Amino acid sequence: MTQLLLPNTQLQSTLLEQKESTRTDFCVRLALTRCCIFSTTTTTMPTDTKRVRGPEVTQSPSLFLCKPAAAPPSHGPRADGRQRDQVDVRPVFVRCGLVSQAKGSAYIEAGNTKLMCCVYGPRETERKDETDMKFGRLTTDMRFAPFSCSERGSWIQGSQDKDLSLMLHESLQPAVCLHKYPRSQIEINVMVLENSGSVLAHAVTCASLALADAGIEMYDLVLGCSICQDGASYVVDPSYMEENSCGSLSSENQGGLTVAFLPSLNQISGMQSDGEMTEETLTAGVRTCIEGCYKLYPVIQQALAKAVRRAAPPPSES
Amino acid sequence: MATVQVSEAEKVYILHGIRDDLRVDGRGCEDYRHMEIETDVVSNTDGSAKITLGHTAVLVGVKAEIGKPRPLVPNEGYLEFFVDCSANATPEFEGRGGEELGTELSNTLYKVFNNKHSVDLKSLSISAGEHCWVLYVDVLLLQCDGNLYDAISIAIKAALFNTKIPRVHISSDDEGGKEIELSDDPYDCMRLDVENVPCIVTLCKVGHRHVVDATLQEKACSVASLIISVTHKGTVTCTRKVGGGSLDPESIYEMTEAGKRVGKALHAPLMKLLQQEESLGTKRQKVGFLG
Repeated sequence: MTQLLLPNTQLQSTLLEQKESTRTDFCVRLALTRCCIFSTTTTTMPTDTKRVRGPEVTQSPSLFLCKPAAAPPSHGPRADGRQRDQVDVRPVFVRCGLVSQAKGSAYIEAGNTKLMCCVYGPRETERKDETDMKFGRLTTDMRFAPFSCSERGSWIQGSQDKDLSLMLHESLQPAVCLHKYPRSQIEINVMVLENSGSVLAHAVTCASLALADAGIEMYDLVLGCSICQDGASYVVDPSYMEENSCGSLSSENQGGLTVAFLPSLNQISGMQSDGEMTEETLTAGVRTCIEGCYKLYPVIQQALAKAVRRAAPPPSES
Repeated sequence: MATVQVSEAEKVYILHGIRDDLRVDGRGCEDYRHMEIETDVVSNTDGSAKITLGHTAVLVGVKAEIGKPRPLVPNEGYLEFFVDCSANATPEFEGRGGEELGTELSNTLYKVFNNKHSVDLKSLSISAGEHCWVLYVDVLLLQCDGNLYDAISIAIKAALFNTKIPRVHISSDDEGGKEIELSDDPYDCMRLDVENVPCIVTLCKVGHRHVVDATLQEKACSVASLIISVTHKGTVTCTRKVGGGSLDPESIYEMTEAGKRVGKALHAPLMKLLQQEESLGTKRQKVGFLG
């Protein structure tokens, strides 16, 4: 499965270095590691006892730069040529149906941000409590590949990953007709291959596309858009550098906002902001994100229509 | 969060009441329940506070330890949050049940404090790049009756106000290495400036109106809530929509405005109360956990 190709190669390279491991040890270790990777439950292992680790304290070389990296200026054009203070989202490449094993899948690329999402289900749910009798259950899992950010992350889900998975769940739940899938479970897995900014917004878009590709009934597509407020100006769909630059001037408005929106119903299904902003800036920011979502809508609709046509081509005229 | 079963008839009753600005216990839509705050309840901590908001009880303990600063910000200390949903609160929290809620609460707290002005992190630095104060803020949920975010944020503000960090001075020893010495006087400590610490306001959307400080029954009637964290100046440090429903953009604008208004009005009486309690000094009657 495409999603899990990466962990296996990492495992093999670490095991090759171990000259003393016996064959049974290898099999047991492989089985245990597989269980470790495949589990989508919320067990948190604070330390990884099943893998051979590198030295205890490793640091990224970027900490040893001679002079600190220049913060992007807060005026003037942005690094990639887009405009500030305008709803200028990055052009998006979307494709559905890339993973053959999954019920539905989608891949999205916006600038350098690349993510893919797979949807499995509806499947029978393991736990059954009263709500499950009437409504289906949505499980979301969002993971970052360790090489996706400029600092190496770990395979163990940190609290940031769990937080993003929870927000993804909150954004998608209002859109899915869960009452049509009682006693079932729909699993959504998002994998971030490269993080170049505004990753949650694109994950929401990608996940709702994958759900549509899987044929899950929904009220509407969910689109995500994020902005980064820097002083008096804002940038829509920020890149990684724009998101993480601490403003050199400690001005009043500094922060980021992500909004998940259902365009045809005009409802906000998810909202998250941090930093510090005045209430007027926040409200203006929400309006900007909604505009950004409307800009993205025709592209997503077109990609979905193309995927449907590819899967079931219309009958020829003759 | 702990849930209660609410029948359809009761839901309609609550909905109609809120539509007319009258809640089940007689409050208006933007009124808080009776709140009791007490600081310095646990003597082993550097700062502690206990808050009771209606039937919700939260205990916060702050411990200051010396650690290594984060590599990217060598001249600042930091705060670490942890929320423990104790099984005392409700049987749903037994074992790992409360873990999900606990992680959600602590992640929101990290976001709320993720800005330059809430806590002056530079004052927590001892020597740049080597030592700094790390404040471990541990929150314990004792009783759960709705509106956890608000109670936790107020308790954290009170506990940080109460925190006394011992003063240290660096001296170089014979080999040229640095040694940290704690001052002998136990009352020689540094206090934190909590003016800019934000408070969280949770607004639940019930029907077409929103309510502040919802009880569990009111929460069961709402589909979505908005959490907004406001400082005393009115700046918003974190917002988040929780719940499985969606909100109209107009409701979001209304709720942000109401949240800012309510949050801003919360800070002045709170600071006055904390300073009053502090000024009572040793003559203060300690209520503790049995009051």
